Amino acid sequence: MIIVTSSPDVDTTLTLCCHVHSGSDKLVLQFVTRFCQRLKSYIENARIHIPTVKGMKNIKAISRMLIVGIIIVIIVVAGVVGYYLTIPTTPAMKDTLVMGTTDSIETCLDTARAYDFFGLAIVGSLSSGLVDYKPGATGSVDDIIPALATSWASSADGLQWTFTLRQGVMFDDDTEFNATHVKYSIDRGISINDPDGAFGGVGYGDLIENVTVVDKYTVRFYLRTPFSPFLSLMAFQVSFIVDPRYAPFDAVVEYDSSRTPRQNHAMGLGPYRLANWTRVAGRETEIRLEANTKYWNASGGLPETKNIIIKFYSDATNLASAIRSKQVDVAFRQLEAVDIQNMMTDDNLKVWAGTGAFIQYLCFQERYAPFNVTAIRQAVGAAINRTTIVQTVFLGQAQKLYSMIPIGMSGHTDAFLTLGDPNYTKTRELLAPLGYNETHKLAFTLWYESSGHYPQSEDLALALKSSIEGSNVITVSLGNADWASYKTKRRNAEMEAYIYGWYPDYVDPDDYIYPFIHSSGGGWLNTNYSNPEMDTLIEWARGNTSTATRNSLYTQIQSLMVTDSPIISLYQGSAFAVTDPKVKGVYLDITQVWRYWLVYIEQ
Amino acid sequence: MTLRAYVISRILLTIPMIFILLTMVFVVIRILPGDPVLAHFEKNVDPALVEEMRVKLGLDKPLWAQYFDYVFGVFRGDLGKSMYDYSPVAEQIFSAFPATLELAISSMIIAALVGIFLGVQASKRYNKPVDHTIRIFGIVTYAIPVFLLGMILQLVFGVGLRWLPVGLRMNPMLAAPQGLTIGALHFSTGLYTIDSLLEGNMFKFVESLRYLFLPSLTLGTVLSGVFIRLTRTNMFETMRLDFVTAARARGLRETTVTYRYALRNAFLPVLTMIGLQFAALLAGAVLTETTFSWPGLGTYVVDRINFRDYTAIQGAVVVFGILVSIVSLVVDLLYAYLDPRIRL
Repeated sequence: MIIVTSSPDVDTTLTLCCHVHSGSDKLVLQFVTRFCQRLKSYIENARIHIPTVKGMKNIKAISRMLIVGIIIVIIVVAGVVGYYLTIPTTPAMKDTLVMGTTDSIETCLDTARAYDFFGLAIVGSLSSGLVDYKPGATGSVDDIIPALATSWASSADGLQWTFTLRQGVMFDDDTEFNATHVKYSIDRGISINDPDGAFGGVGYGDLIENVTVVDKYTVRFYLRTPFSPFLSLMAFQVSFIVDPRYAPFDAVVEYDSSRTPRQNHAMGLGPYRLANWTRVAGRETEIRLEANTKYWNASGGLPETKNIIIKFYSDATNLASAIRSKQVDVAFRQLEAVDIQNMMTDDNLKVWAGTGAFIQYLCFQERYAPFNVTAIRQAVGAAINRTTIVQTVFLGQAQKLYSMIPIGMSGHTDAFLTLGDPNYTKTRELLAPLGYNETHKLAFTLWYESSGHYPQSEDLALALKSSIEGSNVITVSLGNADWASYKTKRRNAEMEAYIYGWYPDYVDPDDYIYPFIHSSGGGWLNTNYSNPEMDTLIEWARGNTSTATRNSLYTQIQSLMVTDSPIISLYQGSAFAVTDPKVKGVYLDITQVWRYWLVYIEQ
Repeated sequence: MTLRAYVISRILLTIPMIFILLTMVFVVIRILPGDPVLAHFEKNVDPALVEEMRVKLGLDKPLWAQYFDYVFGVFRGDLGKSMYDYSPVAEQIFSAFPATLELAISSMIIAALVGIFLGVQASKRYNKPVDHTIRIFGIVTYAIPVFLLGMILQLVFGVGLRWLPVGLRMNPMLAAPQGLTIGALHFSTGLYTIDSLLEGNMFKFVESLRYLFLPSLTLGTVLSGVFIRLTRTNMFETMRLDFVTAARARGLRETTVTYRYALRNAFLPVLTMIGLQFAALLAGAVLTETTFSWPGLGTYVVDRINFRDYTAIQGAVVVFGILVSIVSLVVDLLYAYLDPRIRL
């Protein structure tokens, strides 16, 4: 509290009574003191130097000055008082966790359209699926745990899946969850078939023939074809349940700033409620999640943290500064490799490293020369030095990947290691019969994406070029294009060799094989690779429910991949989160699910 | 030419300028490689859906029809729909504009205050060490990339000293200030400093100032270089004029002579420069906003370039262009008003 009294008498004394509360009071005190000193000096100067004739004018000036001064002081005092009165009551530390990210919700919070990592992570915290993956999952079917379904069974032919639902589960609007909601959610997504959404992207309609309500708490899925990763698909957030009261059957729930947060999403069975979702100019500035007291597992003590505040940073550098300066408790996606490396030795931070499901691979265009020849594709594959890629480009924060199926996932084998890493002798041996040697080198252009869609794209391309040219029988020139042009070039088959990347939809080897090398599923990649033997193996693997048989089939598929070399896997990214050391409950497993409901700050 | 005639001719000149701008933006955006509609989809999609999207965005029409739709749209305040999320671009730009305006105003205040003060000090100590130091400071700040200065300030004041936040517009624990609400009436400017005062929340006001300070200081410091050089040169010339000597001869204090007499005369070109720097301010704001995660037009433009959202980029460039045209028009008119020689 600061009280200032002034009296413009002959001696122009200014009395200041202060009681200093804090640093900000000190600043105010300094300001007032300086102002008074200036005022006093002005008055004294005026009295000494100004001729008597102008005395009256100066007295007026002094009076004006005093009035202005008093007004300023009143404003300052009012400001300080107002400041103290409006200091918010700080919630208990454990109750609120602030997370920073460079991600954003690409479209909306509706399973009918959401198909981006961050958007689906929020969807996953606002709703629940029939099943879920346990924390630390490896992608095995044994890691699937009950969620809204307490048990399930499949028919012998794998065409029917029956789920028994949990009873007494309530939506956040007090509607009771039952089998009709499951049918509604799946039928709706297939019916809308949004071109941006996963129902179309993954092909739910091609897999699911019908969803039937057997009774109030039993629901049955009829599949068009046996599909062994079906449980994984049900654990994918896109299969989560929507609330029909907020999700119309024939329309996607899009963001609208004039609506309440509740009206802006289609969910309602998750550990959290959406308390705020602010978008400025199409990009998130804030998301607030509040614990949903009606969550089916609230009795299990979830969510651990009552309030989650998510703030959005424009780039990795700013996010790194934010976590270093403790502006946020958690920084997750995306941080630069060099920042993560530095943070690993910072005692004020904790770096969580986990298995990443993101992979990058090299595609060959088989429509025309030179990569319409299998030996040439194999020769290039044999000349790739993955150690350089992992150590130089990603500073050790990635893993060498010798298969399209990621490390840590059921069915993975180091198939491409048989080609070498690198094995330049093999490269030369494969190319020699085709007339390529040190004097007549094979030449091709390697394309990479240049607008930041993939991490360290240019560095990766340079490392690949250097590695392949190390064979001394191949010359690589680099081509690049921004993401939009890159995709157009891919569609038009304009690039002879190009680097691409993949995040999984559902956690199963099928999602790393079928969309790439099956002649139908991999059509979008446009490599023009087709092998009926491969197609048959893939179809068997996705239709078989026995883990052992599937693993055997995937071993054959990976072996055939090496023989045909239509695509060469390069590396598997690792997942990193950086937090305050007091933050606990972070699980970075191959499911890539950020489990907001398990993260908390230790008291 | 009378002032009125000058005003009319200047306004008339602005209209073709804006037309040329609109045409150039339209053409440049369309000759860029990459199909914006196909770029929207990750995988191959049904051609019928692609065609539907083309119709939805008006891209199925011939170019000349698209051009007229676009120009008439601009005059109606319709900048088209985003190719990324189908929202009206004008609405998006409008929502981002207050953040940029707040940053621009505070940066310009800092740039003018720092620039003028240092310029005056340099001119008073012409060719002395202080002058050299200030000149070097001016050159360095003029040349330094805005994001580099921003990162240095973040490291020092945010990460190192932890005095100031390194990014965002408001303390994450606080809700954005809502402005003034009286019954059913709601008034909000979108400027957090003003809105927090209107809300009567001094804590939010102080927080909004804290969050505003580093980005403003960054952009303001970079822009201050121009003001330093201009003020220094003008003040140096003005301080040697007869009326300054006369003022000194009357026994006035040096501060009074400098700031009340000389600076008033040297200020006119500086004032003009404040207007002319507006374009540089907007360009600088793009990088400053990205560096500090400031959710304004700059961040919007960078985001949309990454998404190849043609209509959004087009809309933002048009808005930037129109803003610069209007500011330069106002500056020209002010200058003509203050200096009659311009109208000759």
